[in-house]
Amino acid sequence: MLKKYISIMRGAALAALLMCGASLPAQTTASGVINGSLNNTSGIAIQFDSDPAGVTLGAAGTNAATANFGTVSAFGPLAAGVTRPSVTATNFTVRTIFDVQVTSGGLTSTSYTLTANLAAATPSGMSYKVDAITLTTALQTIQVNGSYNTDIAHNLDLVILTAAPGAGGPAVNTPITTTINFTATAN
Amino acid sequence: MSCNFKFGGMKALLAMGGLLCLLASNATAQTSSGQLTITMSVQSSITLVFQNNPSVGTTGFCPLTNAGTNNVGLDFGTAAFPGSFHTLACVNYQHIGAAVYQVSSAFDVVVSKSNSSSPNYRLAAQISTPPPANVSWLLDNVTLTTAGFTTLDTADNYATPITKTLQVQVKNSVPAQPLLETITFLATAN
Repeated sequence: MLKKYISIMRGAALAALLMCGASLPAQTTASGVINGSLNNTSGIAIQFDSDPAGVTLGAAGTNAATANFGTVSAFGPLAAGVTRPSVTATNFTVRTIFDVQVTSGGLTSTSYTLTANLAAATPSGMSYKVDAITLTTALQTIQVNGSYNTDIAHNLDLVILTAAPGAGGPAVNTPITTTINFTATAN
Repeated sequence: MSCNFKFGGMKALLAMGGLLCLLASNATAQTSSGQLTITMSVQSSITLVFQNNPSVGTTGFCPLTNAGTNNVGLDFGTAAFPGSFHTLACVNYQHIGAAVYQVSSAFDVVVSKSNSSSPNYRLAAQISTPPPANVSWLLDNVTLTTAGFTTLDTADNYATPITKTLQVQVKNSVPAQPLLETITFLATAN
């Protein structure tokens, strides 16, 4: 009987100890993890910048810029940033300079190839050259080893026939707009 | 055993396919494109330049300085009435009447056009300052004045040298002095 009593008491004491442990202060630390991920892809981007020696581009610093030559003629005054490197009996050339900057990321490529083409057929009496390369609606290679992340100057020449309108020359006193597409491809 | 082998082969094929996909993805050329839009307007224009005549250097055809431009010089040297004195062999010197001498020299005027349907042009000239008394400046025997442009030609052809002779007539009573004049030519498209 005594043994049974002792056994009961021991059990009660153990239960008391366990209950005492349950009332200890709660846990004050916690831990967790964030599994971050990033897909670093590669790419290149082209933009047009104004050249100090050329006309000020509209929307410079973007990939959709405009260059306004203003009013041009074989013998008259020209807008700032426009020059007239040649005048012959059959044509004259007006020129401006613009910059192309291609930036790259995530590539092992160290240079790019620049191509260009006219978005539409040339207006009558006109032809367009970039760095002396006559543009057509087909892609023409302008540069094969362009360096990234720096402005590279290019000459943009408009070769205009001196013939009168209707005789092969361009329309006069009429705005003429032409779009040139440029593509940079990583080498 | 056979089943395990087949399964292992399939894994290898899948791995290789994935690798090829990655390689193909990396091999794709990176490109970027942009557009530059150009605007301009062409205007008709004409220009005038002075050129040496093909006979330059012979009597009556002195060389121009800065020939080929629209701002040239023509020096007659030194001349006097007595003794038909003149220092430049290229000058055409002559007496006109009993008391006037004349020096003259010819040159060419070339007017070019661009983007114009004008068939020809008018040519006129004027002097910039009134000359001293008894001194006259003439072009092709037409006396020039400061009052306005004097018409020289009414229908000259473009891109064709037009020979003009500049003359200075000086009476023998005119005191010794430098005679300087700027003659402005004006070409107007017809």
